Amino acid sequence: MSETMTLHADLPEADLPDVIDTVLGLDASSPVLALRHERAKLKQLTQTSYFAALRPAEPRNFSYARRAALAARMAAAWKTPELAAHYTAALAAEGGDAEETRIADPAFLPEDAASPLAVLLRHVDLVTRTPKAASRANIEALKAAGLDDRDIVALAGLIAFVNYQVLLVAGLKMLRDH
Amino acid sequence: MSAPTDTTDTPRETVHDFTTEALDWKPYVGMVDYESATPSQRAALSMTPSNKGISPYVLVLAHEPEALRERTPLFNDIMYSEGGLSRGGRELGALGASVVNRCVYCAAVHAARYIQLEKKPEVVEEIYARETKADLPAFEQALFDFAVDLTSDPSEVGGYHLYHLRNSGLSDLEILDLIHSVAIFGWANRLMHTLGEPQRKA
Repeated sequence: MSETMTLHADLPEADLPDVIDTVLGLDASSPVLALRHERAKLKQLTQTSYFAALRPAEPRNFSYARRAALAARMAAAWKTPELAAHYTAALAAEGGDAEETRIADPAFLPEDAASPLAVLLRHVDLVTRTPKAASRANIEALKAAGLDDRDIVALAGLIAFVNYQVLLVAGLKMLRDH
Repeated sequence: MSAPTDTTDTPRETVHDFTTEALDWKPYVGMVDYESATPSQRAALSMTPSNKGISPYVLVLAHEPEALRERTPLFNDIMYSEGGLSRGGRELGALGASVVNRCVYCAAVHAARYIQLEKKPEVVEEIYARETKADLPAFEQALFDFAVDLTSDPSEVGGYHLYHLRNSGLSDLEILDLIHSVAIFGWANRLMHTLGEPQRKA
């Protein structure tokens, strides 16, 4: 669980272990790993998409620690403990501060419900758990909280990727355990 | 000044109900202007098939070219790779996810593709009429129910679901392909349904 990319900061990304294999403990003897290798191209693109969402070359207004904290929050909200543990470890390895540690807990919301952080977390929670309820008003709220168009697309991309990963981990876990 | 002739500026009807008709998609945020795009944005945009033009959706995602560059081939491999689950089966996975997440645009595109591939409009009619309670032929029911259950609560899928999929004749590779098609729409729905809205074509 402690195996995060930053613990291998000396390695190029291409040589890092597959995040989902690591999270699910799939080793060379695992039939699910052999099955994943039948779809090697998309397995690799899932890994490169992870870096694009969590550790992009231009993180701008969402630091790596902030991204890991939001990812840990989403994984925990979906009761995916293996993935939440991975992101909690990543958050620590990225040097996340006390606020980011609180963000990783899906029960946390700032006392000031109108603060930009509260707006951000409500959006993350809504789009993670009930995307069908999202509307234009939610994007307008993010703009009012100071996010620009690129921030909004970056945030949407992070939420969407982590939810993809949660669904994939759940499906692979079903195959691994039965 | 002459009267505006650009019909894209005229107000158009937002579509809230599931449909199989081709729709437009209008973003809530600005699009990247192709003429002033950075080399990185142009490279990511060039992965879209040129005969389709570049959609407003892709021009929005181009704000983050690093992610778009990985996402485009990932999506295509999940939906179009050789072998494993049929193309129609993958479209049904996409449709199940899009119904739960109420991405009307995604559902319209993938319902139409499903009908085109499988020639079973009655399957889509039943899904649109009863949504997650749709009563379908056994094989389609198994795929659709798994898509609905995984999308609704990933922590609840387990042995019961796997037993049912295998009993419906699916190989493990076909099940993996179904998982991927549902998961990638957990991704796509969260972009399309949250960053813009579907509109009736002019």
